Amino acid sequence: MSLLRPRVVFLVAFLVALSLAAAKAALATFVSANCNYNAPTWSPNMYRDGSVTVALVARYEGYHWGGGCWNDNNVDEGPNEPLQTSSTGGEGGDCSGLTFKVWRESLNTGDGGHYQWGRLRNVHGPYTAADFKAGAGVPNATYPKADAIVMDAFASSTHIGMVYQRSTSGADQIVEAKCEACGTNIFTRTYRSDSSYGGVRRMGWTG
Amino acid sequence: MRAIRLICWCACGLALGAAAGVGAVAAAGSVAGPSPPDRDTARIIDVGHLPPLLRAAGDAAMLRFNVFCPGAVEGEPCDAAGDVFIRAGTAGAFGKIPLRRTDDVADGRYVAEVPPDLAASPEGFSYYAVLRNEATGASLTVPSAGAAAPQLSLPLADAVVVHLAEHRFGSTRHTDARVVQAPWGSAPGRAGLLHGPTFGPIGPSAFDVAANGDVAVLDQVNRRVERWHAGQHAGDIPVDVTGGIADMALEADGAIDVLEPGGESRTPELHSFAPSGALRWKAPIADRTWSQLRVGPQGPEVQQEPSEQWMPAPRLTPAAQASRGHPGRTLASGKELVVFRAGTSEARIAEVSGGRVKRAWRIVSATPLGEVQLAEPLDNGVVVVLRPYTETQDEFLVLVLGARGVERSFGVDSADWAETAPLARFRLAGSALYQLGSTPNAMHVDRFDLEVNR
Repeated sequence: MSLLRPRVVFLVAFLVALSLAAAKAALATFVSANCNYNAPTWSPNMYRDGSVTVALVARYEGYHWGGGCWNDNNVDEGPNEPLQTSSTGGEGGDCSGLTFKVWRESLNTGDGGHYQWGRLRNVHGPYTAADFKAGAGVPNATYPKADAIVMDAFASSTHIGMVYQRSTSGADQIVEAKCEACGTNIFTRTYRSDSSYGGVRRMGWTG
Repeated sequence: MRAIRLICWCACGLALGAAAGVGAVAAAGSVAGPSPPDRDTARIIDVGHLPPLLRAAGDAAMLRFNVFCPGAVEGEPCDAAGDVFIRAGTAGAFGKIPLRRTDDVADGRYVAEVPPDLAASPEGFSYYAVLRNEATGASLTVPSAGAAAPQLSLPLADAVVVHLAEHRFGSTRHTDARVVQAPWGSAPGRAGLLHGPTFGPIGPSAFDVAANGDVAVLDQVNRRVERWHAGQHAGDIPVDVTGGIADMALEADGAIDVLEPGGESRTPELHSFAPSGALRWKAPIADRTWSQLRVGPQGPEVQQEPSEQWMPAPRLTPAAQASRGHPGRTLASGKELVVFRAGTSEARIAEVSGGRVKRAWRIVSATPLGEVQLAEPLDNGVVVVLRPYTETQDEFLVLVLGARGVERSFGVDSADWAETAPLARFRLAGSALYQLGSTPNAMHVDRFDLEVNR
């Protein structure tokens, strides 16, 4: 039987393509399948309440350590990822990645930013939570916790969350990418009074 | 001709094989296939509002709201409008005040000034707001039940004023007894720790104390409630919880109520377990966020946001919960205990009955105050646990308040190495105050007897 009979050629080609496509598809992640590296858009104005809305889009979209890419469909498309692993390419930001995007910062720490990053732009930014706590980067500064208002943040050496609204109890509603099991959401927290947290202000708001 | 035919067969095989491969893997669910469509952005509208539950003379009579919805350009403020519906006291018709847009976003860009006659009303005023996304017509009512359960703002005319000097950090009281001591781990008698020291450790997130002094610890990481008796581990009750930071309360019949966090697309839920751990019922809460759970005379109540109201939860739909929202926690006496942290360094506490303040305290501190961790009646007074803080220090301050002010007070180490639910670090049982604490080695529950002043 000749190996160059049409049916044999078809079958071999089919099986080779099937294997390669299946392998590639199986290795695809949320990031590789959905995210981009588009340039951000610069704008002169930056509003605290407008930035809250940017954060709200990330709500329910999951948490991904070292991540910064999400869509807006209320589904975490990369759930149950291993702790502190970025290579799994799941959906969502981590705490500092979310803050970087919501605060419209720059990849250049010497730049004041004002960059609107698309939600599917895969970017974490140069800052860790500890960097934010220290006020690292031109747009950021440490700030008295008692005076923190909407879209200021509280940061520790391992976490950062942004103020959404004060509560009557004196706690705060915080919008944050908390952890893989917690996701990204609005939670009531007591970071303001916790001495392991410091206040951080993103400077340069229009209003 | 034969070669062309073979190339065609080969190309067909490759194309069909590739399609089948991608399809098969997608069907098996192991690929990031096409995402579900984005949600309807018109409904992304939320509100930030701090209701002035307890007002002192001189407070500005303004209601401020931040409205969050997508602008025409991402990152632009919401193009919003709205009205506040307000009346004196708790009865009668509501009048309408259109919200005015301002440039001040710190406390709320949208403002309604309370008319002087309502601001001066001895019975306070009640109100609700309807906020609109002008671009889409989507609206949100806060509190969500509107006229059926409006917000209540009460004047503090005769409050006992307590002035606290600069807090002296480090002068803390030692515990009277350590009633729980559990090293981190999953074996019986240990307590689960999520993440560990390099990534924001989260330990048991809540606890409660039974009438007989037994302590129940929600070890959500290990999906169980630990029972402790006389300082000894007395057993575990498996409970089906998600493992996130949750609050917990024990009912008089031994039922265990667990207030679960909201997760991916999930509204937070209150789960009620029998003493055996079997699920009795569960119900989503009415608002998007919770801050605390307590058991009142009619069962569990949850303080919810953005309404900031306490709502009864057992077996009620979210709408039914919202229609019964009220500003304070319901006490066994039927009164409400209303808590309001004003400014940066004042806490206001009031016992309210029939929409009127019966007695109240204003605690004015020279040191910034964080959250009011606990406010509970004790004999003829109230126990309050506050959290004074600076940029680098924090402690808890326990005050026993009576008719003339502070009757007893002491500081307590914050002992907060591992995170808990926000307002779940203290419980009062009888005349003993219990504190949930932790170190890098273990978690513990300490008891402080309040009739002893040290």
